[in-house]
This record gives sequence, C-alpha cells and structure tokens, in this order.
Amino acid sequence: MTAWTTRPVGPGEHPAVTGYLGLLAEQLPGDLVDELSDGLLQTYQRHARVGDPDTAATAAIAEFGDVSTVLNACVQACPGRQAARRLLLTGPLVGAAWACALVVTTAWTWQLPPLVPVLLAFTLFTTIAALVVGSAGRVSYRRTSTLGSIAAIAVLLIDTSLPVAALVAAPAVNAAVLLAIGASLTRLVWTLGRLPVLFRDGFALRVDQAR
Amino acid sequence: MRAEALKGHLNGLLLAALEAGPLHGYAVIEALRESSGGSIDLPTGTIYPALRRLEESGLIKGSWSEEAGRRRRTYRLTAAGRRSLAGERQRWLEFTATLSLALGTVPGPVSP
Repeated sequence: MTAWTTRPVGPGEHPAVTGYLGLLAEQLPGDLVDELSDGLLQTYQRHARVGDPDTAATAAIAEFGDVSTVLNACVQACPGRQAARRLLLTGPLVGAAWACALVVTTAWTWQLPPLVPVLLAFTLFTTIAALVVGSAGRVSYRRTSTLGSIAAIAVLLIDTSLPVAALVAAPAVNAAVLLAIGASLTRLVWTLGRLPVLFRDGFALRVDQAR
Repeated sequence: MRAEALKGHLNGLLLAALEAGPLHGYAVIEALRESSGGSIDLPTGTIYPALRRLEESGLIKGSWSEEAGRRRRTYRLTAAGRRSLAGERQRWLEFTATLSLALGTVPGPVSP
C-alpha cells in the first residue's frame, strides 16, 4: 500500500493528484486506494501528454469524479453494506417464519430462564438497528464496514440461539418450528460465508489507517 | 450518456468490457469509452468500486501485478460472470425489441 498522505510527489505525478489520493487514503482500505491511484495517475498522464501539468491534473480529477462522489461509490460497494442490505431484505422472511413457529408452539409457555428472552430481544433490536444504519451508509466506509460486521455477528447469534431455544424448550417440534429452523440455518450458512470477507475488509482498513 | 441513464446497466457493461479478455481498471474504462463511441459519461473513479462489487459477487476475479512501480489489479470474467452477461444481454435484446415495436414507428400525419 502507498502512504499517499506522507509521501513526496513522485515523477509523473502532480500535487493536486496526490492530495486527492491522500483524501481517499484517509477513508478507504489501502488495496482500494492503490487501485484508484493507478487509475487516476494513468488518467493524469494521458492528459499530461497533450497539455500542461496543472490543466492535466484538473482535467484528470474532473474525469475521475470529485472525492465525495468516489467515496460514496466506494461506501456503496463496501462488503459491510452489501451484507447488511441482503440481511435486511431476508430478515422479514426469517422473522415471519419464527413468528409463526412461536405462535403455533405458544412460546409464552416455554420453560426458559427469564434472561434468555430479554437477551434475544436485545440482540434482535441491536441487529435491526445495525442493519438499517449499515445498509443506508453513504459517507463513512469505516462505520459502514464496522456496522456490517456487527450485524452479521448478531445475526449469527440469533440464528444459533433461536433454534437451540426452540429445540430445548418447545413442547413439540412441528412443521412450523422445522421451517423456522431451516430458514435460520440457511441464513446462518450464508452469513458464515460472508464473515471472512467482512473481517478482511474491516481488518485491512484498520491496519492501513494505523500506518 | 450520463450516470443516471446507466443505472442498472453498469454491471452488464463492465462484464461486456471484460468479455474479450482480462483487463485492469483503467483499461476497462478505455474499453467502455471505445465501445460506446465516447458517449458514456461516468465519473471514472466510480468504476473501481463497481468492479470490486462484481468481484465480491463472484462474477469477475481480480489479481495484482506491478506496473511502473504501482500496484495494478487485473480482472477476468468467471464462469458465473459469463452466464450473468449472457442473461443481461438476452434481457436487453428482449427489452429493446419490445420498445422498438412500441416506439419505433412514427405514424403518418392524421388527415383532418
């Protein structure tokens, strides 16, 4: 990764271009900044072949898009936001399956420690809040990435604890419970598959920005 | 053609640009510009995150190389990407055929 915020302006570069890349580097993972910098520098060098450096830098940045436009596009493509959006879209389906199972098995009569429903409700509301804010992220890559990871972990907790609670405490495991468990397990497998990408993205961002 | 008009079609355009062979991000932009006769007017910095998103979806695969002292990421279509492109192309052909039927003929002047 290139430290755009501290390095001197190199040959074939322009202070306005490196300044622009420095602003992106403050917010984005290093791999993505490296890719963007390669593209912007190639754009600048194409313009510089036919014009003076200042005009070339202005034209290259205009063609590339202003910092907020590019940041916004990066946040929208952030793995945390993508995961949050998919979990938010599938949430009502899994929720409806569980609502049906809980009503059919009269969940209010289950013999569970009193803390379990409270913890489940807390986790559920935290998850929904993280998913809503994470999926709407437009400004901060770091916040969107973090919220996506938190929401994914919380979804894993819910999709593990609800089936366990149902199997332990429900008086009978009927079709509604099996359907709800199936929905949770499907989402659990998908979420587990996303975790490496989410963690890699979040970890890379922190390491790059700590440099 | 501005970014708003391309909404919903960018994935297909990027996949089409990579159909002939692997390209790095800047070359993808050049290929898009060339294939559209220069009429695609997108902030080119937004193409890179779009490529990342396609990679996350498994439609393209990227690999790093080093050129002129800079890291460069080159993308190629995956089998899933080829299938997705074929689907996008088919839907587009159906869409344009339908619109051509509905909008393509200009009626003659109506006599009073």
